[in-house]
Amino acid sequence: MSKQDIQTEEKFMSQNAWFSVFMGITLLIISVYPALNQTSAPLLFLGSAAFLGSFCMFVIRGGFTWKMKYRLTYKDEFLNTIDTIAYKHVVLGLLFSMGAVYLLSDELALDVSHSMMATFYLAEMSLIYGISILWQSRD
Amino acid sequence: MQNHIAKYRKAAGLSQQELADAIAVSRKTISTVETSRFTPSVIIALKIARQFNTTVEQLFSLDEAD
Repeated sequence: MSKQDIQTEEKFMSQNAWFSVFMGITLLIISVYPALNQTSAPLLFLGSAAFLGSFCMFVIRGGFTWKMKYRLTYKDEFLNTIDTIAYKHVVLGLLFSMGAVYLLSDELALDVSHSMMATFYLAEMSLIYGISILWQSRD
Repeated sequence: MQNHIAKYRKAAGLSQQELADAIAVSRKTISTVETSRFTPSVIIALKIARQFNTTVEQLFSLDEAD
């Protein structure tokens, strides 16, 4: 693997992790805020706009190109390892939260819709993946 | 497991990025191996040893707990 490939992978993973964190926070706001204020339409619009804005920012600032396709595995050994561990963290986090939701389901049923719960799970998965990658790749 | 990669690298006057480029791995691989947070494969260990003209045993040593 060439030097350029490795640096591209390293850069891609870093940006991917930050993007996951931002996307997770945005989805978390979209899923939790309507439950607190009994409203969803304005925030869904704002959340979608914020998400698209952050996505465009990362595409422009990160220097993404159409050649930089998403791959299921990284060629670099370390990046591949932390990517796999991050997915394990995601699965663990999801299992714990689903267990908590199962236990609290009677209290949640009236106030929280299925779409909000689905968004919450997506938010949690994105956040855990991003934070896990950033934490594991610290110097 | 402990290692002496940082010592060898500094003695050779190389930065983490330069060593990473020389053996075709990411800089974070070198960084995390040096701090013993990541145990590299035999292939990477051999590449690092070859880079410093030494043996893997000189670079890595086992702890009592290992």
